[in-house]
Amino acid sequence: MNKTVNINLANVLFHIDEDAFSKMRRYLESVKRSFANTPGSDEILADIEARIAELFHEKLADERQVITEKEVDEVISIMGQPEDYMVDEDIFEDEPRPRTERRKSKKLYRDIDAKYIGGVCSGLEHYLGFDALWIRIIFLLLGIFTGFGFIAYILLWILVPEAETTSQKLDMKGEAVNIDNIQRKVKEGFDDVADKVKNADYSKVKSTGKSFFDTIGDIIMFFFKVFGKFIGIVLIIIGAATIIGMFVGLLTVGTLDLFELPGLDGVINSITGAPIWLISLLLFFAIGIPFFFLLYLGLKILVSNLKSIGNIAKFSLLGLWLISIITLIVLGVREAASHAFTGSVSTENTLYMENPSDTLNFQLVSSEFYDSDEHMRMNDVILVFDEDGNPILQSEDVRFNIKKSNDTIARVSVRKEANGGSLSEARSTAEKIKYEYKQQGNSILFNNFLTSEGKSKFNDLDVRVNLYLPAGQLIKYAPSNRRNWTVRAETDRATDGLEDYLWKMGTDGVLECQDCPEDMDKDNEDDNNRIRINEEGIDININDEDGESFKMKIDEDGVIIKAQDNDEKKIDIDIDSNENSIKINAEDGDSTMTKTIGKIN
Amino acid sequence: MQTITKDKTKKTPHKKQKEVMNVENTKAQMRKGVLEYCILSILNGHDKYASEILATLKDAKMLVVEGTIYPLLTRLKNAGLLNYRWEESTSGPPRKYYTLTETGKLFLKELDSTWDELRSATNLVTNKK
Repeated sequence: MNKTVNINLANVLFHIDEDAFSKMRRYLESVKRSFANTPGSDEILADIEARIAELFHEKLADERQVITEKEVDEVISIMGQPEDYMVDEDIFEDEPRPRTERRKSKKLYRDIDAKYIGGVCSGLEHYLGFDALWIRIIFLLLGIFTGFGFIAYILLWILVPEAETTSQKLDMKGEAVNIDNIQRKVKEGFDDVADKVKNADYSKVKSTGKSFFDTIGDIIMFFFKVFGKFIGIVLIIIGAATIIGMFVGLLTVGTLDLFELPGLDGVINSITGAPIWLISLLLFFAIGIPFFFLLYLGLKILVSNLKSIGNIAKFSLLGLWLISIITLIVLGVREAASHAFTGSVSTENTLYMENPSDTLNFQLVSSEFYDSDEHMRMNDVILVFDEDGNPILQSEDVRFNIKKSNDTIARVSVRKEANGGSLSEARSTAEKIKYEYKQQGNSILFNNFLTSEGKSKFNDLDVRVNLYLPAGQLIKYAPSNRRNWTVRAETDRATDGLEDYLWKMGTDGVLECQDCPEDMDKDNEDDNNRIRINEEGIDININDEDGESFKMKIDEDGVIIKAQDNDEKKIDIDIDSNENSIKINAEDGDSTMTKTIGKIN
Repeated sequence: MQTITKDKTKKTPHKKQKEVMNVENTKAQMRKGVLEYCILSILNGHDKYASEILATLKDAKMLVVEGTIYPLLTRLKNAGLLNYRWEESTSGPPRKYYTLTETGKLFLKELDSTWDELRSATNLVTNKK
């Protein structure tokens, strides 16, 4: 059921369905608009209406039949869209034409007449209404500092069509997209929606509800359009940022560590044998291509006349992406499979001490190579070369554990471990690990690193050293100059490390501290460097190795600041709340200056 | 409807400026140039109303959509080449019958000879190979 409206077209009465009526009305209005500036427009319109009336008349079998949307659509297809009416005007160019009031919306084209490189900036000048110089500067700055400018420029160059025909040039130079125009556009769009809302017949809602939902749909579409632009901008930013990030990452060796991919510079390959650059490239495609499409989608939303990148490009990118993903999965599975088994080789040796009651000195020896930056490093694995130029793999993955021996003999057990695709492969890789330690009198020197053949792949090589000490054995730990967290032992004190103290292996397997200060807090007091802020006040104590020091103590007794240089220059400031005085004392080795303010009673 | 109005930007107040050729434009221009001549020819000797003119043009595939013709008829009428009179129709609204004026007839004669010249000239040029 639908309401009908009576209309008068060229003095003939028609019954027209409400939906058809509003369609007809909009059609005639837009036709009228396209003739707005043409002389004799009323007459033309009257002729058109007459013809439409005639067409309707032909189509209706009897006078009581109602015109529906179907008839209107047919008539419109016969008469042509509003822009078809315009085609003829070019013939009458010599007639003076009033300046067009119609507002053209602008399109983004590349202006090849004013180009430097691809005309992108000069095109944007027309589109945005800024001087192209500024746009060029912004592109250049973005290009130099972030790389974004270059990529954006190239993308726009490829995707934005150049203005070739006159009409394209006019479109390009149309109204500037400035705030006023955007405001107006939004308002026009809103009016359009409001118009539809106004014209919706609410009484009909009860009967059919269709038109009402159409109107709602229109409103929603309008807001979608507005938000679509924002979404487009967001998509562009996300896509561009990711691609740039990936690109920079691809170029930087540093990112290899980020992905934690084993292998360095093609010499040490990952287990699968795929070189690192290939994996990075695959990752770049696998992640970059979806983001490229995101970026493209964003541009498409923002710039309506964007060129398509073409189906060939689309499908080859899609294919490349699929290939990358599949290759990565295959490589990943193989990589995982090659780590499936862990093999280990253990050796145990007895430590002979000339005099078992002597203190055993435990010492770590670092590789000389770790202190230089001249090698490639990843996950604590470095590649070095021996005198003959053969590559050697070095890893710091060595850990020490001090445990109690079951008998009275000190022993060292070394367990070498590696991963592999099979147990035997893992074991043979583990056998190739070289690890050394030396005993010199009462000292035992452990290497802090392991080595293996340079050609062997990185297979989670590690070495676990267990030092078994008989109960009652004294041990002193001399740290290497590198990190020392690799030594573990159960101790009866909560110290940060084993350094500096003499330890004794207890019968329960726990190291007993022989010369630790009783109060661990006091122990902290003796620390050379500390900054402590607590309820008692602020306590800062900094000592340099070459004799320079700074001390500051703020508490309820006042403020004490002491600073000392290594050439006997020194200054003390003492604000004493007990004495109500401020003392300043300065020395430079030769002379002394002392000043006391106060003693207020 | 909004998008439609956006797109009709074909005409240019700066026609004298450098023009870039486009095959669609040229085709449209050619067809439009003859359209006037065709309308005048159709009306030569017989008075016709818009639908009849349209039917002839559409049969000859000179036109795709009807809307194009109305502005053209009005222009020709305003230029004094055509005249019209209303006639009641037995079926439907009254019809506007167009007639050639004396000026229109002279104009058509001019166009006839020009067209002949043009046709033979074009033939000569395009067939000469």
